Amino acid sequence: MTQLVNINNTFESYQKLIDFYQEHKYKEFDTIHLELRQWFAANMCAALGGILDAFTDNLNDVKIDYISPDIERILLKNDFLSFFGRSRMIDNYHTTIRFLKLKLSDGKFFNNYVVNELIGRTELPKMSYLVKEKMTEAIYEIFVNAQIHSESRQIYTCGQFFPRDNTIEFTIVDTGIGFKRKVNERFNANLNSIQAIKWAIMDKNTTKVGVTGGIGLALLKEFIEKNRGKMQIISDDGFYQFDIQGEQSYFFNGSFPGTIVNLQFRTDDNSSYILKKEFDNNNIF
Amino acid sequence: MENTTINIVNTVGDSFCVEAEDGQKVFELIKKVLSEKRSVTLSFLNVEMLTTAFLNTAVGQLYRDFSEEFIKKSLKVENLTNSGAVSLKRVVDTAKLYYKDPEAMQRSINDIMGE
Repeated sequence: MTQLVNINNTFESYQKLIDFYQEHKYKEFDTIHLELRQWFAANMCAALGGILDAFTDNLNDVKIDYISPDIERILLKNDFLSFFGRSRMIDNYHTTIRFLKLKLSDGKFFNNYVVNELIGRTELPKMSYLVKEKMTEAIYEIFVNAQIHSESRQIYTCGQFFPRDNTIEFTIVDTGIGFKRKVNERFNANLNSIQAIKWAIMDKNTTKVGVTGGIGLALLKEFIEKNRGKMQIISDDGFYQFDIQGEQSYFFNGSFPGTIVNLQFRTDDNSSYILKKEFDNNNIF
Repeated sequence: MENTTINIVNTVGDSFCVEAEDGQKVFELIKKVLSEKRSVTLSFLNVEMLTTAFLNTAVGQLYRDFSEEFIKKSLKVENLTNSGAVSLKRVVDTAKLYYKDPEAMQRSINDIMGE
């Protein structure tokens, strides 16, 4: 039995999830018991969902034996536990962003999700329309990136509002090939996971063949910088974080089976995203 | 030069123009028109959301198949929001560099490995 205790959006918490995956990844036709105790950041349901699906794909049975009551309430409200035989609870405080599991071809469902769970939400009076638009654009860039590059069967998303901290956490997870393998296969190279993540974030860098690209992650980083938010990329055994303190990167002990992109946006962002002058459409090409 | 207008929302079938695959549909239409030596106006009327992934396939790829000069002369946009125009400009500038120097990606990887 595994206990996941105090899971937050930190390097240490991702390490605990990786340890959990590594402990059970070779099991087949087995029962995997799990307990969630003390705290579990709701957006991390996306990462946990990906791991648990890897276990059930190996025909294991997953049993969540105990969940602390506070965690349980949130995971019932955000739909996560409805994938494990429980009924959804109504979210009266409207702070959850639903857990969603998508196939790569489900872009239209993702559109509805983004409208219902983010753009259409009225509980964020402090957030200007332009910031909301920029945030949504950033989330789309990550979703589409996973669609194009991950070679994953599923994409998992989940989020949470923190009204007191004026933040939104939003996480997109795939269980595909990861940055390192993608970059190394494309260029016949031998980069480690952190080098591969850093390369992919740089403006104009893309693994696509014959089609231009490589702007989405760079745009995201620029927005995060202006918004004073945070981005974390966990891929294979690499951890990369960018926020107001700058860049941090570390290696995990063991690998995550895919990629986690976790974004923290500030909802009290007063930056102006309006251009100072009209853009000349005749000068684009 | 005779002009053809391509309505992006109608071509994609959605006001959210975000997926690379949908950009491919737009690209194929533009390519067909330009190949006939006609000019194209891309109408972004009612587009609510754009990603660079969509714009890369819809427009970026044109720089692989047509010259910069021909595209500048033949392609116009209308009803594009300011932030959409900024994204498109970035896609276009990236595409011009990418197709001029396709080995740049490999060199940047080699540079990291040589460090």
